[in-house]
Amino acid sequence: MNIFESVILAIDAVRSHKLRSSLTLFSIAIGIFAIIGSGTAVTSLNETVSKQMAEMGEGVFVLQKFPPVMSNDMWKKLRGRKDINFQQAKLFQQKMIENAEAVGIENSTGGIKVKYGNLSTDQNVSVAGGDDAYFITTNIMIEYGRPLNSEDVSMNRRVVVIGDDLVKKLFPVGSPLGKIITIKKQNFTVIGTIKRRGSVLGQSLDNRVIIPITVFMKYIADEWDVSVAISVKALSLDKVDETMDEAIGIMRGIRGDQPWMESSFAYYTNNTLSEQFEGFTKYVGFFGIGAGIVALVVAGVGIMNIMLVTVKERTREIGVRKALGAKRRWILQQFIIEAITLCQLGGGIGIILGLMGGVFLSLILGTVVAVPLHWIGISIGVCTFLGVFFGAYPAWKASKLDPIEALRYE
Amino acid sequence: MNNDIIINIEDVAKTYQMGAETVHALRSVSLQIRKNEYIAIMGPSGSGKSTMMNIVGCLDTPTKGTYLFENENVATMNDNELADIRNRKIGFVFQTFNLLARASTLKNVELPLVYAGVKKDERQQRAFAALESVGLQDRTHHKPNELSGGQRQRVAIARALVTKPSIILADEPTGNLDSKTGVEIMRLFGELWKNGNTVILVTHEEDIARHAHRIVRIRDGMIESDTINPSPAEV
Ligand SMILES: Nc1ncnc2c1ncn2[C@@H]1O[C@H](COP(=O)(O)OP(=O)(O)OP(=O)(O)O)[C@@H](O)[C@H]1O
Ligand SMILES: [Mg+2]
Repeated sequence: MNIFESVILAIDAVRSHKLRSSLTLFSIAIGIFAIIGSGTAVTSLNETVSKQMAEMGEGVFVLQKFPPVMSNDMWKKLRGRKDINFQQAKLFQQKMIENAEAVGIENSTGGIKVKYGNLSTDQNVSVAGGDDAYFITTNIMIEYGRPLNSEDVSMNRRVVVIGDDLVKKLFPVGSPLGKIITIKKQNFTVIGTIKRRGSVLGQSLDNRVIIPITVFMKYIADEWDVSVAISVKALSLDKVDETMDEAIGIMRGIRGDQPWMESSFAYYTNNTLSEQFEGFTKYVGFFGIGAGIVALVVAGVGIMNIMLVTVKERTREIGVRKALGAKRRWILQQFIIEAITLCQLGGGIGIILGLMGGVFLSLILGTVVAVPLHWIGISIGVCTFLGVFFGAYPAWKASKLDPIEALRYE
Repeated sequence: MNNDIIINIEDVAKTYQMGAETVHALRSVSLQIRKNEYIAIMGPSGSGKSTMMNIVGCLDTPTKGTYLFENENVATMNDNELADIRNRKIGFVFQTFNLLARASTLKNVELPLVYAGVKKDERQQRAFAALESVGLQDRTHHKPNELSGGQRQRVAIARALVTKPSIILADEPTGNLDSKTGVEIMRLFGELWKNGNTVILVTHEEDIARHAHRIVRIRDGMIESDTINPSPAEV
């Protein structure tokens, strides 16, 4: 029949029952909003992280004392581990260097205030100690000046490479190169600046400085965290696994791990990190979709209610249509189209809210705004399904009406 | 010989259950109607005229007895088959008009054509022509509540005629019309009959019944008399 007419009738039904309709449309909107919103958030988070991972360089793995993410049980089990101290790392580096493109040593701390003259940053700068290879394994690019070199490390030079946030804050005019800045009462000469990297999850990656690891261990490192992390870049991408096996073997030797014991250190690649992250975002997604489904079921029952009332109110109309020769399927079709229209109205509002919410969240977290277009398709599909599913019973009831009884209905 | 009997009602009864009380709307009615007859059904209010029209029009089913429509037992037909007969073979003018309140005059008249699967352009043309034949060509965009009782009745007539059905069932089609318009409508029914259609109308006005060729009188759900009108009035 005329689909357009059914759509008009549906909008009519919404208008004549403003409160009930708006509550129902609202809960559809909430459901779709939850689904679209979490879809947008998850897509944005994942895209941001994979972008970040790609930037950190491929074919790199890290060895450190603890895994990057630990459950409570794991922590209880592993808390007794011995530090990977600088000497062990140095030894590892010497043994590994021939079989890898670069082996970097690093430790870092956060919440530090950096000063230049009478200018100073907030107490939130992250300070890393690294070496020349650290710049390669973490893919840190230099904008002006130079990175740390091996002499800076071996000769304990008081030099520093600074991130873009510090350039802006401490050196609003003029070049920072050659200037002296103060970190934890120690003076350092700026020898380079890091190319801007942006932010992940609202956290700037440019609010950091890098000094030689040797100097770091001596003056800056927190006394409770002197265990270093070692990052290894394999000679080529297809050699990562092989290189990792080798590295684990060497490290076990250095740490004196007996063959029957588990390794006394953790190792992971960027892939394992991003997998873990995706596992986390999956939960966010499932939660959003779950909440959405609950809201949609509630809304579906509301749609059914509206449609039942509509059928009741229009009993005479149905009688007239049947008397004039409308077959059952015409009546079914008319009311199901009305139910679908109702759902799509709510869904449309939900899509708009969901996109706005997703964009808003992305802006807060400073992530890439990823509009999940396929989610819009999905929600249109979901709304159609809702309309058919919850409109079916009222429509069936309408189609079953006896024409004479319907015509006599007051 | 049975062949041109299109409506064959045998001992049909219709009862309604109103709580503990049983209402006998029709007690026992037998009636044969041939193709191209022109019949008036008369009787006092509450005698069962509308009930019989509803059964003849395949809108309602008898509680007892058999009804053969074009030699087919209506009791064996399903909802869709009945809907099809109502749509294609019968034009029904309801005593209470039964127009769609929200739809314009034109839309109301188009409705049977919608269910007959007629395309929009042709639908509008035919609906307009039907409205023209009842003198309502200048009321096509009015809603029923913007029309007088007589105008509504004419819309209902136009809607019954728009599918060019072979059987016209009209329940008090002139009840709300002044005598001049009533005569116009009777002229319309006369033409339909001349064109080979079957016309059955309910009326309580002897003046209207005069036009019919056969007059059936009902009382208390039974046929009281069934007579031929020897000299039908021409309009
Ligand atoms: N659906 C129904 N439920 C209960 N009783 C009904 C129903 N339909 C008709 N009746 C009763 O059946 C009887 C016959 O009704 P019907 O409408 O056929 O009368 P009628 O001859 O058309 O009268 P009128 O000239 O007033 O239109 C009446 O007593 C009426 O109350
Ligand atoms: Mg009646």
